[in-house]
Amino acid sequence: MTTVPPTQDAVPAADAPRVAHSLFAPDKRTASRNAQESRFRAYGLVAIVIALLMLVWLLFSIFSAGLPAFRQTFIEIPVQLEAAVLDKAGNGNPVEMASVTTIGYGKLIGRALTAELEAKGIDIGEMTPKDLVGMVSENAAADLRDMVLADPKLLGTTVQFKALAHGRIDGYFKGRVTMETAARDNMTSPEKLMLADKMVAAGLMEMRFNAGFLTMPDASDKRPEAAGLGVAIIGSLYMMVVVLCLALPIGVAASVYLEEFAPKNRWTDLIEVNIANLAAVPSIVYGILGLSFFINFAELPRSAPIVGGLVLTLMTLPRIIIPTRAALKAVPPSIRDAALGVGASKLQTVTHHVLPLAMPGVLTGTIIGLAQALGETAPLLLIGMVAFVRDFPGAPMSGLFDPASALPVQIYNWTQRGDPGFVERASGAIIVLLVFLIVMNTAAIILRRRYERRW
Amino acid sequence: MKDIRLERDVQTETNKIEARKVQVYYGTNHALKDVDVDILDKTVTAFIGPSGCGKSTFLRCLNRMNDTVASARVEGMITLEGENIYDPRVDPVQLRAKIGMVFQKPNPFPKSIYDNVAYGPKIHGLTRNKAELDEVVEACLRKAALWNEVKDRLQSPGTGLSGGQQQRLCIARAIATSPEVLLMDEPCSALDPIATAQVEELIDELRSQFSVVIVTHSMQQAARVSQRTAFFHLGYLVEYGETGAIFTNPKDPRTESYITGRIG
Repeated sequence: MTTVPPTQDAVPAADAPRVAHSLFAPDKRTASRNAQESRFRAYGLVAIVIALLMLVWLLFSIFSAGLPAFRQTFIEIPVQLEAAVLDKAGNGNPVEMASVTTIGYGKLIGRALTAELEAKGIDIGEMTPKDLVGMVSENAAADLRDMVLADPKLLGTTVQFKALAHGRIDGYFKGRVTMETAARDNMTSPEKLMLADKMVAAGLMEMRFNAGFLTMPDASDKRPEAAGLGVAIIGSLYMMVVVLCLALPIGVAASVYLEEFAPKNRWTDLIEVNIANLAAVPSIVYGILGLSFFINFAELPRSAPIVGGLVLTLMTLPRIIIPTRAALKAVPPSIRDAALGVGASKLQTVTHHVLPLAMPGVLTGTIIGLAQALGETAPLLLIGMVAFVRDFPGAPMSGLFDPASALPVQIYNWTQRGDPGFVERASGAIIVLLVFLIVMNTAAIILRRRYERRW
Repeated sequence: MKDIRLERDVQTETNKIEARKVQVYYGTNHALKDVDVDILDKTVTAFIGPSGCGKSTFLRCLNRMNDTVASARVEGMITLEGENIYDPRVDPVQLRAKIGMVFQKPNPFPKSIYDNVAYGPKIHGLTRNKAELDEVVEACLRKAALWNEVKDRLQSPGTGLSGGQQQRLCIARAIATSPEVLLMDEPCSALDPIATAQVEELIDELRSQFSVVIVTHSMQQAARVSQRTAFFHLGYLVEYGETGAIFTNPKDPRTESYITGRIG
């Protein structure tokens, strides 16, 4: 680096007359500094605008694709539950009635639909009853069967049955399916779509809020209309309970020990560095650990929320320990002095004074840690939570060992499926996940604002 | 304005605390060297000296608050009524109940006024029921000259009081465990002159029950409230004696320089 010696005329002589300069006109240096500053502001503004546009784009694409998942087309028709077909033994025993498969129920629905269309005077043209069954979801027969098996007294009566419309019919009303695509599609036909229009006009078919999206289990590849988040929400909930019950006490105990009791030496420094590093370890690594330890070594069941919860606990621990230690550090030493000064033991000082004062910070850290765990996908893929699960897990504690799904994994799973109806489902599930995350983060912010202390 | 009272009788001649050859190290830094002090019962003893001279360090040795500093090491012997407080059998927690402490900055717990005072008796199990605890709280707040100001709002937070009130609350909290010695580390340095006067008056009253040791930067304060004064300089105890003698007839030239304002 070379420095240029100031030239003679650059340094005004002490006795040189001052150049009169108006305050109203900025001199050259000031003008260039001001220009620099306004350029810098402009860069900042551009950055913010770009970030906001991205966010708007993200939200728009998710909501425009996902909101239709919360509405669903239903066909409501009276179905006569013929005892002769459904209960061949005639004794109303659900075990024997179970021998009638969904095919039998499907036929019933087809007949009921035909009769209802006739009654309403709707011309079905060339369509056969088999074609008519294609108007309703393949899941409708299963739903009807579950309904009858759950309540055999319905036998012989006529029930008002609300059947899910077929995914293609639903897609037609959501703008996903058109007459042109239907003509090339072997799962539907333009005739069916035209019939659907007539049924809407006759009040047999309508679109309404789809509570099933939040309560129903996943459905197979060809039935996007029946797929729901029920199992995934319960699985995620179970995992969060496991994480909360394990990570909070272990994390707080570890932080309190390290911050208040442990001697400050090379070992605790090493532990501290490692905790910081663990927080940055890619989550899939925890998945491998969970696979080798919890499943292969401890022989816990695959796909179970308990394993998912344990893996996510490992992942969340450093993310709770770090903010907890920060919160403990933020408690002023004068409080510790005061407590020790009146003869409180170290433990009393911590439990009576330091920890309660640090609690808002601890809870904020915990909630944010939980929110991260809720959205975590990679480790769950490795422990088999990506499996197709249609059975709801049982009640805790044994339910923790039943197979379940999880929200982010369900989203991942749905994006892999072929039927375009699942794009809508996946986006809808993202909305559900985002709502959970926003609620949790808002709770964290409220806690922090409300209990923030100033000394 | 209260005059500087130099002539004050010392009521007792019994030693409460005896310190012999006390050395304190912070890591490799030798902070306190060869300190010998006898602190009398029912007397106010003032420690004066420039910043960093070791007076607060020594004060914190007396109730083993230096134990909380990892790098601190104390040598020598300090006895409380003949018992060495650095004996391995001594539990510092029990010791601190006997030797109360008031800190430089008022540090009430962020709890109610009542809970602040009641905390010590509660953890030491000094009272058997709520009524007794109420009595102790009232008595201590009265002794700390705070009762009349706070009796109607005992449940409001202690941190909501003014600085002077907070410091008197801390004094009430310290005397609630009925200690034998009260250590005060510059208790008035964060207070205005009026609050200072109140606290000083209080210290004078507390003398009838406790042995009070006060660290202060203000020589006027030392002269006003204490009967005995110790002058610390660069880790040494330079001079210790009757307050009157120290201020009017110091034997050591360093003491004289300090009280006349030439060093410090």
